[in-house]
Amino acid sequence: MLLSFTCNGRPVRLEAAGSMRALDVLRDLLGLTGTKEGCGRGECGACTILLDGSPVNACLLFAAKLQGHAVLTVEGLAPAAGASSGTGGAPAGAPAAPAAAALHPLQEAFLEEGAVQCGYCTPGMLLSAKALLDRVPRPSDAEIEEALSGNLCRCTGYAKIVKAVQRAAQALERERAGAGPTGALQ
Amino acid sequence: MEYLLAGSVEEALRLAGGPAVRGGRARYVAGGTDLAVQLLQADGTALPGGGPAVEALVDVSRIPELLRLESGPEGLRIGASVLLQTLARREELPACLVQGARAIGSPQIRALGTLGGNLCNASPCGDTLAPVIALGGRLVLASPEGRREVPAEEFFTGPKATVLRPGELLIEVRFEARALEGRSAFRYIGQRQGQAISQVNVAVWVRGSSGRVAEIRAAAGSVAPTPVRLAAAEKLLRGRAWSEELGREAGWAAAEEVRPIDDVRAPAAYRRLLTAALLREALAEVTGGS
Repeated sequence: MLLSFTCNGRPVRLEAAGSMRALDVLRDLLGLTGTKEGCGRGECGACTILLDGSPVNACLLFAAKLQGHAVLTVEGLAPAAGASSGTGGAPAGAPAAPAAAALHPLQEAFLEEGAVQCGYCTPGMLLSAKALLDRVPRPSDAEIEEALSGNLCRCTGYAKIVKAVQRAAQALERERAGAGPTGALQ
Repeated sequence: MEYLLAGSVEEALRLAGGPAVRGGRARYVAGGTDLAVQLLQADGTALPGGGPAVEALVDVSRIPELLRLESGPEGLRIGASVLLQTLARREELPACLVQGARAIGSPQIRALGTLGGNLCNASPCGDTLAPVIALGGRLVLASPEGRREVPAEEFFTGPKATVLRPGELLIEVRFEARALEGRSAFRYIGQRQGQAISQVNVAVWVRGSSGRVAEIRAAAGSVAPTPVRLAAAEKLLRGRAWSEELGREAGWAAAEEVRPIDDVRAPAAYRRLLTAALLREALAEVTGGS
């Protein structure tokens, strides 16, 4: 079927079997290999992407379910890597250039807190955390643990990941506090 | 395998019964979180257990009628494609249903999985099954011949088996207004807090009257081939003045009446103990402060 959806802020149209996994559409057809396959059965969360802002397992998602919706993968998390959610005006035709892009506050915080070891779970962790912070800007540790309960990490023991999400929440809050008046002046 | 997006109930029924997919080889799919795993295990097309190969999936997750969630004087109606995530966040819905939806899978699963999918998958450990039974839910099923209503406790016929006929589609679950007047609670135990399959789950609904249990429905999952009403415990409680001692007695009555098995998740004897403890706790929650 002809699939038409938004991926990391850019419109995508491609021909794919509707029963294909969204994970394979992203990795094999679009070359977005930041989304990882772990268990392949919806238990580990390594393949977590955001579908209209909600975290879902791309390994369980039939490609047809992308139709007309907006996908965010780790490649689209950093604001400069594409039109991130919430900013409407990406430069027309700008190619994705993740290598040169600034990092999202969550990515910065994961680095600063040492919340990454092997890194395989990190893209999924980042997206589950983003979905939480979009909905609950100042979460408790318990809310963070609940939001990340579908993401397994076998390296870190989770403590630093929770700290990193708290750190990112504070950074985003400072950003909003700083950006508010500036935005109003523009 | 064809993947077809249905825009209406009529279209879904037509697609599922179409010539390309005769003989029960079309499957309805809502969130797909259970079905995707089943298809994967069976190497793409054949369902485990010797079922016919699946030639088409008919996606019902976007049908407006299946997405309705309406509460009014005549009761509550929840469309089959309403997300578990939606139920988990609606504090105004009956407590046992909210708590049951929260117990399922992970945030990622709840963002795709639906009430109808959890019911039709008919796993004995599904965490919305006991709540829907305890609330006296009625399932509205549609087929080309028309619609029928089935009480939730008659819907399940075995592990992963229901009264659904080939091509029949669950439209919504209805709850009478009376079921919303009482108080309800859900309890489960799994091997951990997140992504855990219930070793036992229990849902209760109680309408109290001056300290007495005027009306009660209780149900448990993972203790028999289907979710079951806890009839002996209900009988013991009905009409009695609430006390903690009564809650303990009801718990032991429930432990005796369930028929659990030993399996990879828990031994039967432990499941009986859990049934008693969870019923006691759920009863304490619904009767607390009333």
